[in-house]
Amino acid sequence: MTNEKVDVVIVGAGASGSVYASVLAKAGKKVVLLEAGPDWELSDLISSEIWGRRIKPAGAPILLEGKNPMGYAAQAGWGVGGAALHYYANFPRLLPTDFRVKSEHNRAHDWPISYEDVAPFYDKVAREIGVSGDAKAEQRWRPAGENYPMPPMKTFRNGDIFLKGFEATGIPMVPAPVGMNSVEFNGRPACLYDGWCHVGCPIGALGNPQITYLGDARKAGAEVRALCTVTRVLTNQAGTRITGVEYYDGKHEKQIQEASVVVLAAWSAQNPRLLLNSATDKHAQGLSNASGLVGKFMMSHHVASTWAMFDEDVQNHLGTIAVQYMSYEHYPKTSYQGVFGSSFIVAGFALKTTDLAISRPDLFGPVLADYMKRAARNLAGIKAFGEEQPNIENRVELTSAKDEFGMPLGKLIHSFDENAVALWNANLEMGLKVAKASGAKEAWSARGAIPTSHLLGGTIMGTSATNSVVNSYGQSHEIPNLWIAGPGIFPTEGASNPTYTIFALSQRGAERMASQWGTLAN
Amino acid sequence: MPLKLLRISQKKKLRGEKAMANIGRRGFVKGATASALAFTVGGAEVIMSAGQARAKGVPFRLLDAHQGETLEALGETLVPQAREAGIAHFIDHQISVPPQESLLQARIFNVRPPFADFYRAAIKAVDSGSNKMFGRDFTQLPAVDQRQLVDSMRQNKIEGWTGPPGALVYAVLRADAVDVVYGTMEGYEALGIPYMAHIPPEKRW
Repeated sequence: MTNEKVDVVIVGAGASGSVYASVLAKAGKKVVLLEAGPDWELSDLISSEIWGRRIKPAGAPILLEGKNPMGYAAQAGWGVGGAALHYYANFPRLLPTDFRVKSEHNRAHDWPISYEDVAPFYDKVAREIGVSGDAKAEQRWRPAGENYPMPPMKTFRNGDIFLKGFEATGIPMVPAPVGMNSVEFNGRPACLYDGWCHVGCPIGALGNPQITYLGDARKAGAEVRALCTVTRVLTNQAGTRITGVEYYDGKHEKQIQEASVVVLAAWSAQNPRLLLNSATDKHAQGLSNASGLVGKFMMSHHVASTWAMFDEDVQNHLGTIAVQYMSYEHYPKTSYQGVFGSSFIVAGFALKTTDLAISRPDLFGPVLADYMKRAARNLAGIKAFGEEQPNIENRVELTSAKDEFGMPLGKLIHSFDENAVALWNANLEMGLKVAKASGAKEAWSARGAIPTSHLLGGTIMGTSATNSVVNSYGQSHEIPNLWIAGPGIFPTEGASNPTYTIFALSQRGAERMASQWGTLAN
Repeated sequence: MPLKLLRISQKKKLRGEKAMANIGRRGFVKGATASALAFTVGGAEVIMSAGQARAKGVPFRLLDAHQGETLEALGETLVPQAREAGIAHFIDHQISVPPQESLLQARIFNVRPPFADFYRAAIKAVDSGSNKMFGRDFTQLPAVDQRQLVDSMRQNKIEGWTGPPGALVYAVLRADAVDVVYGTMEGYEALGIPYMAHIPPEKRW
């Protein structure tokens, strides 16, 4: 069935898709969002780690390979709101150095834009959805910008207890910026600090898409079609323009949605899968793939976790799943001797019983039962996110296996190189020093398989079709009415949590699309 | 007897500002009917926890008796009280619903559906390993041998192991046992941790 043509079809109703929908619907465009998962609403967000799994991926799986397979299901979204429905809403920025790694260090890539191009959009996003933090305190590491609209969040003993150790090891910590309300903001209530953020915040204190951009988009007339799985992006016969998308609706009936512009916002692994599966005789390698880089340069952060058991009750049930303190002190790319890459250090977060159990995965039986009792009172943690350099071998490919709609499954191959492993180890050593200097009775590193966090790359931005898939706005170099949004367009990843930058880049891209509409529509 | 996962009442769904106005603050939950495990017993639908289902002897839907006993024995070895908390009924229920409705941590561990295949293969592998190490099925071992097998499985140290990797079986089943013992409101209470729900799970599950 072919549906009436619309101005914009957005594939994916998560963080980036919601921003595009809001900006374009407010600009008077007829917008349709196609989302593979359900239409989650605030009342679905039950305060339970068990029930919270309903908002984790359940569609066609991404097959995982490599030495360090990506923790895909824990990270990805499924349904309206996407991963931003269960994200931690940590809102650190990239720093200027992240945009010029090639120029400064002759490694990886430069972005085709600078920090200064993105900075106004960081400030705009903060005003739009609300950020709590202390911008002045951050400016020891980054250029000045606007103050955040809300003061920092409360801190708790599970974070404060590490300050002594950080000071002793020469690491200044400042209040972490978060997309949560420390005070009432725009009619949304302040946070209650009960730590259920990661299963979805139903009260509106955390800025998920449902109550921010997507809510605005719906008010402006955008239509959300849930349980609709896009399988191909369609082109005209000459291969010069996108004409729409093919998708299967909730009844598994095939539909065609024609549109003047298509935005792929289905996260870093699914966007390449769609582009590769949309190959035609004019685009034999897949759409927007003249460079051969669709699906390439997939990146993830490695996470160095340090756990500490204290004599005192650190009240680890209080707080948010986001963090209370952060530091860019080890962010300079050569901060650790002999190792390359940025590190982003955080401390102070609420723990649930699953976290307590995971903190000592080797324990079981009565020993675990005893440990859980102690951990419930005395456990706290430090984390350091580490940057991996883009590697063309880390990639998404199509496989011969098919999903229920006959679309090839995607395979994500990911391995950390020796440098990334060395950086992870350096961060673990740093964490242990801090924990011991904080007076921990016991402190240990979470070793074993290297945890991955966030997924970036696969459709990187650059200056031309020879070195990248899209330009700095997310527009395809080859097909002007095809746009890609989300962390997939990052050419390097930095070390800080990416969602604030995703929002900012999406705001920038969507405003560009609206301003250039006359050159895009047909 | 069919088991069914109840969905949130569509009538009670809220959106955006209306939802915030109604839900507002912790402990002030209006109209949000949380999902629960629904078991059909004697033709009547009864909502209960997995532990209650076990206590009432609700039959398994997909597991056979031996598989259920093995999961209980493994669960109890991994986390004390997992048997009584209904680990086998929990897993049986969750592998019987469509994968997108399943609440198993197998989802997070990237186990490929159908999840029943993973659990059947895991049980088979554990029994095979148990027979190699001790000449008997896992359920027939004394607790000390059960612990030894689980510890070897955790470290992928059982020779001739077939099926899903031992470390993965350990991680998934341990997570399930943690869920039923510590992931519920009762589990939090037992550890003295305030639960502080915005929208509490129905029947404290």
